[in-house]
Amino acid sequence: MAANIIETSGLTRSYGDICALKPLDLRVAEGEWLSVMGHSGSGKSTLLNIMGGLDRPSGGSLRVGEEDLLALTEDGLARFRRDYVGIIFQQHHLVPYLSAVENVMLAQYFHSVPDEAEARSALERVGLGHRLKNRPGELSGGEQQRVCIARAIINSPKLLLGDEPTGNLDHKSTLMIMELLRELRAEERFTVIMVTHNQEVATWGDRTIYLDDGVLVREERNEQGES
Amino acid sequence: MALAYKLIPLFLAWAGAVMVLGRGFPGRRPMVAVAGSAGYAGGLAATFLLVRFLPGDLPFGIIKDAVGAGIILMWGVSVAAVYRSTGRDVPLPWGERFAHTRLGAGICALATGILVGAICACRFTGADASVPVFLLLVLAAVVLACAVLAAERFFFSSLTMYPSGMTVALVAFLLLSSSSILRLDLFSPLTMKVMKFAHDFVHQFFESMLIPDHFFFNSFTWDFIGFFFGKQVGFWGALIIWFVPVLLVALAVNLVRLPAVAHIRQGAQRRKMLAAAIRERRSRLVVPALAAVIFAAAVYQSRFPSVEYWDPKPVSVTASPSGEIFIPKKGEIDLEDEKLHKYLFKQGGREARFFVLMAPSGQWTVDLDACAICKPDGYGQAEGAVLCYYCRTLIPLDTVGKPGGCNPVPVPFTAKDDGIHIDGLTLINRWGETVQATTRIKETGK
Repeated sequence: MAANIIETSGLTRSYGDICALKPLDLRVAEGEWLSVMGHSGSGKSTLLNIMGGLDRPSGGSLRVGEEDLLALTEDGLARFRRDYVGIIFQQHHLVPYLSAVENVMLAQYFHSVPDEAEARSALERVGLGHRLKNRPGELSGGEQQRVCIARAIINSPKLLLGDEPTGNLDHKSTLMIMELLRELRAEERFTVIMVTHNQEVATWGDRTIYLDDGVLVREERNEQGES
Repeated sequence: MALAYKLIPLFLAWAGAVMVLGRGFPGRRPMVAVAGSAGYAGGLAATFLLVRFLPGDLPFGIIKDAVGAGIILMWGVSVAAVYRSTGRDVPLPWGERFAHTRLGAGICALATGILVGAICACRFTGADASVPVFLLLVLAAVVLACAVLAAERFFFSSLTMYPSGMTVALVAFLLLSSSSILRLDLFSPLTMKVMKFAHDFVHQFFESMLIPDHFFFNSFTWDFIGFFFGKQVGFWGALIIWFVPVLLVALAVNLVRLPAVAHIRQGAQRRKMLAAAIRERRSRLVVPALAAVIFAAAVYQSRFPSVEYWDPKPVSVTASPSGEIFIPKKGEIDLEDEKLHKYLFKQGGREARFFVLMAPSGQWTVDLDACAICKPDGYGQAEGAVLCYYCRTLIPLDTVGKPGGCNPVPVPFTAKDDGIHIDGLTLINRWGETVQATTRIKETGK
């Protein structure tokens, strides 16, 4: 049995009077693919942001790897994000005036030092070896998302977070992206936490949790993901 | 209050040196504090005694030589740093081990303390160098050292100290403190040495006829050759001598190879290791950069010392019908106050500027307000010496009146009970012979 990479206990997040996340106890094993489902406003993205060190919880405890996220300073959180986390967004958030390879190198720059050969190799791994010099505007939605994946994995994160990464993609592109993520996970052995509205996408994970109004209401194992 | 103001650069240098030592010998703070403070007290006491019992400028000369030795050491260390950084590793296991022992840290702190204390003592002369002043200074130095060492651990943890950087930084602080005292200033004499070297070098070319005195060398050419005789050559040459070691240390830091990372399979890990090495290299550059700033401050202090020169406005005098200039010892001006008094004598469209001085030994002297080698910018008086404004050479009061070098050109005179008697024509002629000649040399280079 793999050790837990994430452990939360009584984790909460409030915005004024609104409680986005009610006391949550959750454990994610190292190398696991966890899908998070729920309707809009159920607290999925809040949970993802807190686990990725993008937001701070209001209470409870949260340990990711060796780090107690509540005890970290702003600098410590930045270091944690740099060393631990890769994020794939629904809206890509690529820099429009940089080429695909430069977008990947930008992530290297903020992590350590840029290495173009390595960035090229990452893009080749996601099947974009022929689109290295193209800017995001010259790429399709699926291709842009693959650049995002290359950018997210370039720094060898232990935790890959996806916030509805296939939300804007058609069915064929979605399948390609999911297949790619599965292959990369098998090679790199990172943990995946993916927020999605799509039941079919959720089944690619090992386990799915369902949030409703900030409360974990259901949890199920996925046979497809585990296979 | 004025003295407290003058002590600022000295204590600033002491605080800086203690900070450098504290960072350079991590884990040896108590030893640095004790040895440094003991050295400071020892240097202070020894200099007080030397100044009291040794004649003239000898104690100042000893301290100046010690600081000069520091510059030579800095040159050696910086050149060695460049040599080692290129991969030609010079094995110094004994030296490096010794530097990291308590004894090594203690000796380094002691030597620095002695020098800083000795320099500080030179600020106090005569009756000022008393036991209460000594105790007060030692107390202030000890308190400052403890405060700096306590604060040092909270000061930029990324700022790493290494042997060549530490040497450059310590010498920079020593020069900062010594340049605030006229008789310890090394930069101005260095500019003179460089200027004279350049002058002699060009002169040798003429002597050996490598540059023939030929009509081909018109006045335009001489303007360029004259550059080598000018003050600017001395200034820039001395700047190079001061700053090159700092640049060499920075160069050595840049030349050090980055760690071999090719064997690391994971790209992120490889890049992280490279980034850490590059970050450390950058943080190492901070030390020579700071040293360069301190050197610049020392040069500034040397060029614009916070010393109030005694430089009275020349008083016009006339000659009697027999051609004699008479200056009374007592009158509107008291000539016996051991200060130089300047006069201006005009005759037939010609003029001469001169001064009268009674040295502390009671010896009278009358001299031109100019020397035989510099432009006639004149002299000021401060701290038991007169200073040539052109080349900033200090001439002790006891040697004023002797000819040669940058000493003011002596003028024949007769000292009687009532005053000083000078022959006006001799004065005018001597001015013409020397001052106008040096002006031509400095302006045209010929």
